[in-house]
Parts: sequence; C-alpha cells; structure tokens
Amino acid sequence: MSALEVEGITVTHGSRTLVEPLDLGIEAGRCLAIIGESGSGKSMTARAVAGLLPRGVHATGTVRLGPHVVSLPASERVWSRMRGDRIALLLQDPFTSLSPVHTCGSQLSAALLAADKRRGRSRRRAAQRRADVAARLEEVHLDPRVAAQYPHQLSGGMRQRVAIAAALAADPDVLIADEPTTALDATVQADVLDLLTALRSERGLGLLLISHDLGIVQGRAQDVIVMQHGTVVERGDTSRVLHHPEHPYTRRLLAASPTLAAADRADQPAGETLLRAEGIEKSFDGRRVLRDVRVDLHARETLALVGASGSGKSTLARVIAGLEVPDAGAMTFDGASLPAGRAGRIPSQIQVVFQDPNSTLNPAFTVGRTVAEALRTAGRPASEVPGLLAMVELDPELAGRRPASLSGGQRQRVAIARALAPQPRLLICDESVSALDVSVQDQILQLLGRLKEQLHLSILFISHDLAVVAQIADRVAVMHDGVIVETGPTAIVIDTPQSPYTAELVASARAQSLTTEESA
Amino acid sequence: MAWLLGQRLVGIVLVLFVISVLTFSLPHLAPGDLVRTLIGNRQVTPQLQEQIRAQYHLDDSLPVQYWDWLTNALHGDLGTSVQLQQPVSAVLADRRLPLTVALALLAFVVAVVTCIPLGVFAALRQRTALDTVSTTVALVGLSAPPFTIALALLYALAYYVPIFPVYGSGHGALDVLYHLLLPAAALAAGVGAMLMRITRTAMIRELDSDYVLAARGRGLSGRAVIGLALRNAAIPIVTSAGLVLTFLISGTIVVETIFSLPGLGQVLQNAVQYKDLPMLQGVTLVIAAAIAVIAMVADLIYLGLDPRVRSGRARS
Amino acid sequence: MTATTVVIESVGIQPRRRLAVIVSIVIVALLVVAVVASPFLQDAALHQDILSASLSPGAEGHPLGTDQLGRDVLLLTIAGTASAIVGPVVIAVGSMLLGILFGTLSGYRGGLLDGTVGRVTDILLALPVLLAAIVIGGVFGGGYWSVAALLVVLFCPTDIRIIRSAVIEQAPRPYVEAAQMLSLSRRRIMFGHILPNVRSLVITNMLLNVGFAMVTLSSLSYLGVGVRPGSADWGRQISDGREIMFTNPAAVLAPALLLIIATCAITVLGDWVGDRLAGDDEA
Repeated sequence: MSALEVEGITVTHGSRTLVEPLDLGIEAGRCLAIIGESGSGKSMTARAVAGLLPRGVHATGTVRLGPHVVSLPASERVWSRMRGDRIALLLQDPFTSLSPVHTCGSQLSAALLAADKRRGRSRRRAAQRRADVAARLEEVHLDPRVAAQYPHQLSGGMRQRVAIAAALAADPDVLIADEPTTALDATVQADVLDLLTALRSERGLGLLLISHDLGIVQGRAQDVIVMQHGTVVERGDTSRVLHHPEHPYTRRLLAASPTLAAADRADQPAGETLLRAEGIEKSFDGRRVLRDVRVDLHARETLALVGASGSGKSTLARVIAGLEVPDAGAMTFDGASLPAGRAGRIPSQIQVVFQDPNSTLNPAFTVGRTVAEALRTAGRPASEVPGLLAMVELDPELAGRRPASLSGGQRQRVAIARALAPQPRLLICDESVSALDVSVQDQILQLLGRLKEQLHLSILFISHDLAVVAQIADRVAVMHDGVIVETGPTAIVIDTPQSPYTAELVASARAQSLTTEESA
Repeated sequence: MAWLLGQRLVGIVLVLFVISVLTFSLPHLAPGDLVRTLIGNRQVTPQLQEQIRAQYHLDDSLPVQYWDWLTNALHGDLGTSVQLQQPVSAVLADRRLPLTVALALLAFVVAVVTCIPLGVFAALRQRTALDTVSTTVALVGLSAPPFTIALALLYALAYYVPIFPVYGSGHGALDVLYHLLLPAAALAAGVGAMLMRITRTAMIRELDSDYVLAARGRGLSGRAVIGLALRNAAIPIVTSAGLVLTFLISGTIVVETIFSLPGLGQVLQNAVQYKDLPMLQGVTLVIAAAIAVIAMVADLIYLGLDPRVRSGRARS
Repeated sequence: MTATTVVIESVGIQPRRRLAVIVSIVIVALLVVAVVASPFLQDAALHQDILSASLSPGAEGHPLGTDQLGRDVLLLTIAGTASAIVGPVVIAVGSMLLGILFGTLSGYRGGLLDGTVGRVTDILLALPVLLAAIVIGGVFGGGYWSVAALLVVLFCPTDIRIIRSAVIEQAPRPYVEAAQMLSLSRRRIMFGHILPNVRSLVITNMLLNVGFAMVTLSSLSYLGVGVRPGSADWGRQISDGREIMFTNPAAVLAPALLLIIATCAITVLGDWVGDRLAGDDEA
C-alpha cells in the first residue's frame, strides 16, 4: 500500500502559480526524489504536502496518507493530527532548525509528548521519556549524552541527526527531507544520507527526498521526479532517468553536473612562480587555523585549494588577499615582498570574487556604479563599463539596475567584472560558485576558463567540492586542519591520492557524483 | 560563566563610580556661589559661612572632599537638605522612597501581567480586529508623555467620574493602594505599551523562524509551539528590560507630581526649584544605584535564559 | 537559506492602517502650519487680562476659555506649537548626526576608539534621560535651547549604539571587503559604501526620536526645567494651569490633548516609514 499519494497539487501565491498540478506516490520503504534548481517549486511541493506553506501561499489538491485523505486547503486542526504520526518534515539547515535555548533531549521529548497528546494516551512519565529519548538518539547513532547538550554545542552533522530523530519520534509513515544535507560538509553528507536510507528500510518509511543535487539521488532513491519552473519535466526509475534522460532540461542538468572525470589537461609547463607564501600561521581565539602553511602559485595556472569547512582554506585565501593579517609568515608576489594586510597593496595585484551572491554587491549601488568605481581605481574611465559587462556576458543595459533585481548568476558576473576592472594578475575565487544552481555554476566556471585564457589570469580557486575543482583546476592543494596535506596536478591527485585524508575526500566525492560509465 | 558575571560586575561598578563623581562635582560646577547656595533661605552671616565651609569640608582638596562624601554616602549619610534642614537620607527613607518604589512596582506588575500576554496574543492573531485595536490603544500608551496620560485619567476617573481620589497617598496599606491605583494605571499604560510591542515583535520573529517550522513539521502544535517560541522570545524581551525600566523610572517621577503624591518625584521637583544640592545629589545617587542593581539582575536573567552565552563559543 | 525565500510575502497596507497614516500626515501638516504661525501669534497669545482670568470655554471670544492670567487658551495653545515641535526636531537631527559620526567610526574602526566610545555610551545610557536632564538642567539653569542641547548629548548614545550595531553588521560583508580590495580610503568605505545601507535605520530612528524628544522636552518644561514660567509652551501651560485645573479644565486639557495627538501622529508616521523602508531593503 502506498504510504503517500498526492493528486493534483497546485501551489499559488497571489496570482502567480508556483507549482502546476502535480501527482506523485511513494510506497512504504521506498524513496522518491524530487530534483530541481531554485525556483523549480520542489520545496513548495514538499511544504504543501505537509501543510506548512508560508503565509500568503496556498495549495489545492488531495493528499492521501495511508487510509487518511486530506483535501487541500485543510485547516490547521486537520493537519496537526496528521503531522508527526503520519508525516513529518525535515528541514535543510541544521543550524537553524533546532531551538537554541532548549536541550536536544527536551526537543525530542516535546515531539514524544505531542504524539502522546495526539493519540489521547496519558503523558509518559519522565523516566520513560528519558529512556525513549536515549533510544531515539541511539537509532541515529548518537551518544545518549547528547540529550543534555544544546544544539550550539554540536556539529552540523550531529544537529541534523538530532533533527532526524525528533522528526521520527512519533513514528510517522512518511518523511519529507527538504535538502537535508545541502548545508553540510561533503564527508558528513554521505553519512547523513546513509542514515536516512538505513532508517527508511528499517522502519518501512516512505521517504520523499528533495534536492538540487543529482549526485545524491543515485543509489538512494528508486524513483525520481525532475522539476523546472513549477512543472514536472521528467519522472521515472532513477537509473533510467540518469542514464537515458529524455527531456532536454534533464539532459542539460546532467551535463552541467560536475563529475570527477577531470578534463584532459595537457601538462602545463610550470610558469614562473607568481605568488609564494611561506610559514603562514594564523590563530583565532586560541585555535590554530593555519599551521606553517606553504604554497606556491605559478603564472597562468589555476590552483585549487580544497578542503572541508574549518580546514583553513578560506583563511589562507584571505591572508593572501590581505583581508586577514597572519600571525607569522611571509609572502612574495611577482618576486617582490607582499605586505600582510591591505596597506601597501595595489588593486592590480590580486582581486577576489566572493561566495555569496546576495551580499557580494553593495545593495545601494547600481551595477554601473559598482563597476565604474572599480574602473576608476585603475585609472580607467567609466566609459569602459559596457565593455566590461559584455566581457562577463552581461547585457550592458543592466548597468542601471540594482543587485536586488538580478539573479544569483548575474550578480556573480557583476562581481567578476568588478574584480577584473583593475586588471589583476591573480584572481582569487573564494567558493564563488558554491551558492549557485548547477546549470548556472557550469556557465560561470566556463566563463572563468575563457577569461583566464583571454586575460592571461592566474586563478586561486577555493572550494569544498572536489568535482568542481576537477573541472577547472590545473593543480590542486588539499587542506585539512590548517595544513596542506597534498599538492599536485589535479588528475594525479584525484586518481592516485597520496595522503589518507585526500583519499577520504575523493571517496566521498565519488560516492556523491554521478557515474558516467553508462552515459551514451 | 563566572568570568562573564565578573565582567558585568566590574562594568557596573565603573559606571556607578563615574556617576558618583559626576554627582559629586555637580554643586562645584553649578553657577553661583556654592556657600550661598548651601545656606539657602537662611540669613547669610560670616559665622554661618564658616560653619558651612567646615561642615562640607570646602577647604579640603577636591579628591579628599569626594572621598569624604562617598564614604559618608556608603554609610547612609547623604548630607543635609538645604531646604528642609533635615538629613537627606531621613527624608528619603521616611515614606518617600518606599512610596515611589511601591508605585513603580505596582505599575510594573500590572504592565507585565496584562501586556505581555496581550503581546503574545497579538502576535498569534495578526491582522485581526483584536490585533489592530490593541496596537492602537498601545500606540497612545507608547507615544504620549506619561504625565498627559495621567492627566487624562485623572480627569476621566477622578474628576468627571469620581471613582478614585484626586491627590495624596492615603493612610494604611489598603488606602494607599487605592490611592496608587490610578497613578499606577497611568504608568502601566506607558510601560505596558512598550512591553506589548516588544513582546509582539519578538514573538512574530520567533514564530516565523526555522525551528518553529521544523517543530511543527514533526507534530508540535498549539500551545507547545507557542511555548517554544515564547521561551526564545524571552531573550529579546528581557534584553529590552533596561529600556523599559528607564521609561518606568522617569515616568514615576513625573506622574507622582500630577497626583500630588509625596514621593521621590515631589522631592526632586522641590530640590530643583530650591537648588537644594545635597538633596539632588542624594536622590540621584539612590536612583542611579537602584538602576544599576536592576540592570545587573536583568543581565543575570539574560545569562540564565540564553545557553549560548553561557557555554562560550559555539562549535560549527 | 532555502529557496523558499523566493516567495516574499507582499505586505499590503490594510485599510485601517492606511487611514491612520493619512490622518497622521494631516495632523503633522497642521502642526507645521501652526509652527510657522507661532512667532506671529506670540504677542497676542501672551497678552494678559486679569479681568478675564479663568473663564470657562465659550465665554465671549474665548472658545476654550482663559487661563489664570486671563490669556486665551486657544491662542496660547496654538502659539505653543513651535516650542513643542522645533526643539524636538533639532534634538533628533543633532542626536542622529552624532550617532552617525561616532557610530560609524566606532563600528568600522574598532580598537581604542570603539572601546572609549563604548564605555562613554554605557555610562550615559545608565542614566535615565529625564532624570539626568532634570538634575543637570535644574542645577545649571538655562533656557529652552540649553536644555535642547543637553538633550542632544543625552539622546545621542542610543543613536550611536544603533548605528554602531548596524555598521558592525555590514562591515564583514563581501561588498565591503571588495571595496577594501580596491584600496579605497577608509572614509570612502565608511560613509560612501556602508552608510547608504543604513539609511532606513537612520530615517526611522530620527522620526521616532522626534516623538521621544517631544515627550522628554514637554515633561521637562512641565517640571519647570527649561522654559520660563508663563511661556507659550504646552508643558509649561499644563504646570501653570494646574492651579485652575478644575475651574477651567480646558487650560490644562487643551495642551495635554494636543501633546497626545502630536506624539501619536509622529509615532504612527515613524512606524509607517520604518515598515516601508525595511520592506524596500529586503526586496
């Protein structure tokens, strides 16, 4: 019997339709994935199925949960009987989805008590509650002592496990996981997804997995639905869709998804050393973030710095950029000594493209003003703005617009234009594509590649995503816990990792990314 | 945690020290001859001037004078009122301070008990008639000067419809309470409006947050969700307590004068009028100390409410 | 950040709220007219006529009666608008200017400057503004503008704190770092890049401060600090008129009601502007 069946769900916001009428079904013990980029409507669908749409957003249609039928729109009273017992929703961001002022144990407890209340059972006693909470924590492979801790004392992965345990506390039949691992590190992502898969089969759950990442779907979801602009463009058995996609959008998505098959790179002759950093030390609040780091970057190469969050890769990049002053160490640029910090630096040496497209541009400035000011620092006239915008493949008409009216990809392009205005020798890309949709990510990476050739740039590319790195980098330096553990040409490091950490990184990246053996 | 408390304590002591220095130096900075001012309304004679000089150690160096004054104050001796020719501390302790404290406390309790629940309710029932009405009523309480609200209430409920007494503080506990009700209501209107608004804003923000959504997503509903949000909202509410408190103290002083209550307000007003410097110093010191203590308490409550501050840096 | 942030709830202004805003704008407009007219009405308003003292509303030529000195209450109240509005506006603007100057420098530069500013504002904030003004104003005397200047000093710590917090929130953002990468001057970054993004906070707080300043200034003049006895000033009128509080209530109620109306109107407008600007920021 199907655990969840959805018929004709339509989601609207005012006069805008966010999700066109959609059907789907999940059997007990199976997993259905909904894949889509931002704006596809996948999250709204998930929320509609759980009756948790934001204010002003409405849904119609029918939701069948086992023997119960809910026709939307339904009152909160109806939904409060369904949620917890029949269906539960797991959110994306483990850093905000738990109450910061309650212990993990009490949050789990609250879910259990709510279940008791719903079923008309008498409240279970405190001792029983403690035992139940301990059991739930063990089910998600957490030490029962976590119950006494507060969320901020745990890592992201652990917090997500607590959230999973709480979501399953009332033993629902269906679990909706909305991008459950997007906010986590690559190595942790695999663990959490494996946990969900294990729970699915142990409990006979129907799992609805929402994601933008095709890679996690493989081996975890039996069926997949691909959404674009609120409509289902393709659906079916996962292997079939991944290896023989029918719809052009699916094909595009698959093509844009970075894989570990590093592009064939002709061995670049090592150019002269452009940047050298030696003995770099940096501590924050007593924690050593960079330990005696040494790195060389050659002219006209793309060097990637890859590692998990907390590895120090961003800090190293910021030290090189002068945005952070190291506690010790020296740097040279183009043979001459490079001062620590911004004083004494020239814009034409190094520029940065930052990660978050939402805050990388000044919201109060128009695009034109941002770029013109950057040009001005290099003594170039404002008349060059249209040319610069065209170089990053933006319509010069956009110069009069504010960042708020641009898409994420467009904003990053403006940020690139701003960075290139002073004609820097070295461009640092600090996770510049991590916050973008897959298809947009691919476009920006290709743009960067073209610009590099065109302008004879050297690029220092920071990323946590090995697959992205494989696509763009000539050499890669792997960082772990403040130290560079391995450096070398990309293909070599990925195919034959020397250090155990690199091997671990490659392994989880392989598990995440799509196998391409079967693609035609 | 102990370190944080220690830091706060040091901060408060520092603030009190500076205030004491400022308060002390006030008479010395004031225009006019200090001795004349301290003589006040009595006849000026050379002997009296000598006596004043000796009494206030005016011939000593300033730091010595300050030290004398401070040590006296810490022992409860706040000097002698020029106007009343009585010890300042006696005047304050005898009914003045207790009355003001009683009024402020009453107003605060009334405000908290009525307006925080109202704020929660308004947050839950947004866009309904009740929300609009209560925010409108709160608007007046929030915007208008407390003494005008007091006046309006006085006219409405003590003059045109004589339910409450017009002035004075009455005798005996119950009678005093009766006399304080109207002024307390006037004060509570202002303080309550602030609390209501702060509570409403804080609750709305918490109810819109991810963790509430997640909690609902796993089956919590109704009262459990409200409790969850409220516990989190308590933090910004308590943090705003300082602001509310300042409002309360200022308001009490002014409202007392409208109702002719013999409390600190009247004392202060007279002191200003008659340039009774020792009295001014005394009142200022007492009020500043009270505020400091209450701010410390609010800080402690905040530390107790927010576990993130207690255990230091979060691991990410 | 989930993709659901794509759905921004459009906050429509309900009819009731819109009405309140319109009424407030009308009230403020009328107040401005009265402020402009005040200087011309001073002589007529302050003209005393003992024979007509304490008349009730409706007595010939006096719609609101007269006060204990025989002055027409209506005229006096209108003439008092200037002192009720102009001072507070100056205080709000002055306080915010100091707030911008010290808050920005303190928040962006940090270090010793920030520490010093922080300590000083902590101390100033520990005192209730009204109390400090009563004591200082009472001891040192001084007229309307001296008190106004004092209030600028007493109000600015809050503004400094607010601006400082906002600047500290903006400073680590990538667009600021990008400006640093362009080697722009610190002054340029603080006042040209960061400040424009704090604009809505500045405007909203200034408006609300006008309201607070009105409350404080009128309370002070009621208590006898600032304006001379007998001036055309709402607070002063209330305190002067208390002796005939029950003979001609209008002498006290007229200025009191006007204070309530004016402060409410300012608060409504301040809220409305705040909501509008905050909405723009988030869009």
